[in-house]
Amino acid sequence: MKHTYLYCFLVLIGMVSLSSCEEEEYAIPTLKQELQNDVIKRTLGPNLVGMNIEFAYAMALPKTLGKLVSAEVTAMIDGAEATYLENRSFYTNGSGEDVGIEVGSKSVNSGGKTTVTFTKDTSAATLRYFYRIPTTARGKEVSFQFTAKASNGQSVSYSMGPYKIAEMDMVLDLDVVDSTKAFISIEDMAVYNAADAAANASKIDLVYLYRSIPNITFSHGLVSPSAKTYLPGVILPAGATRSTKVQKVWNLRDFHLARLQYGVYIDDLDFQQLNISAAPDYAINMRAEAGVWVETQDGKYRAYVYVNSVNNNTKSAKISIKRYLMK
Amino acid sequence: MLKYIKWVTAMMLAVGMLVSCKEEFPVDEDGLLITTRSQCYVSNFELLGPDFQTVRVENAVIDTTAQTINVKVFYGTDLKNLYPQFSLVTDAKLEPKIIGKEDFSDLSKPKQYTVVSGNRKVRKTYTVNLTVQTP
Repeated sequence: MKHTYLYCFLVLIGMVSLSSCEEEEYAIPTLKQELQNDVIKRTLGPNLVGMNIEFAYAMALPKTLGKLVSAEVTAMIDGAEATYLENRSFYTNGSGEDVGIEVGSKSVNSGGKTTVTFTKDTSAATLRYFYRIPTTARGKEVSFQFTAKASNGQSVSYSMGPYKIAEMDMVLDLDVVDSTKAFISIEDMAVYNAADAAANASKIDLVYLYRSIPNITFSHGLVSPSAKTYLPGVILPAGATRSTKVQKVWNLRDFHLARLQYGVYIDDLDFQQLNISAAPDYAINMRAEAGVWVETQDGKYRAYVYVNSVNNNTKSAKISIKRYLMK
Repeated sequence: MLKYIKWVTAMMLAVGMLVSCKEEFPVDEDGLLITTRSQCYVSNFELLGPDFQTVRVENAVIDTTAQTINVKVFYGTDLKNLYPQFSLVTDAKLEPKIIGKEDFSDLSKPKQYTVVSGNRKVRKTYTVNLTVQTP
């Protein structure tokens, strides 16, 4: 009896090992006889109002079944006017450049729908979709429905999202010049000259200045109007008295602001969790690619001011700002 | 005879356990090894701002006899939020521990840090004197 069990067991082991050793042969996948589609999202990082969310929408069916008729994207929140679906299908040539081939008419926006009608006989295409985020979508979630139709009557859809639209605002490439265009308002996301600053004196959060003083390193500074020690020779407009918290940061080259190769993004969460209560009200000796966290005196706004470039000769700099409204 | 061997084995095991439990490497209250080294000095000193960039104008001057560290910082340095970094001789440790930003703003009362040697028997208190660039 005992031996019978052992025998059975051995046979079982033998069978298992034989079956597991069997080599699975490769088979060429069979072509699905239907219209198919796929989508990838091409943009990374937080979605800011005024910027694009980009997708690549691919659709194809076997040539024998027919050709593509139309491609359509429906956004749950109507995109801004600049929203469009590319009417060209791209391929990459030998030099790595994307070359577009026109396959349809220019896209038409109707409410949240963006449609391209194919004008060329084509059974496969990849169209790029650029959703320009409207102001109405701020803080909301938006999702997309991609649909393709073929001449044989088939249609397919693909859903993407939902994607959260960030609360923050952004302004790029503001030129600041010492003494002439030096007054920065976080509230207005703008830079004022002396005359305009006088009219908006109560909104001035920071003053840009460049100084070359012997024996000390001052160079480019972002100083709040209250820090008079660090505003040598600056004539403040009457009423500019705000004390803004300013904390210097290095190595935070936000992709949206810097547009460099670093995949670093400042999101709403960073502003929500920022604690710079112990920070001073000035930052001097700023360099290009540096930045400052800013909190306005009333605590209403938190911002990140990034220094894109500086010029010591013209005593000027180029700055970009991301701003978050505290609630 | 067998009973006798059993007793001896039990005894040996007990003694062996006792011996192996004895602590051979003493550690201090931080769980750090107490060694035989009696050297006690600061070998390098760095001072970083809130952006983790140095605020020193030049190298810090460390006087191991006078037990002072003299460091000159940039004009406009935010003295309330600085990260000091001490490099110490092997096995030494620093008291008090630096766990975050330190406030150096009261220049009339320089901050003091004590270096404790590897054998935890020698203690030397260093004074960090800050001077700020002036125009």
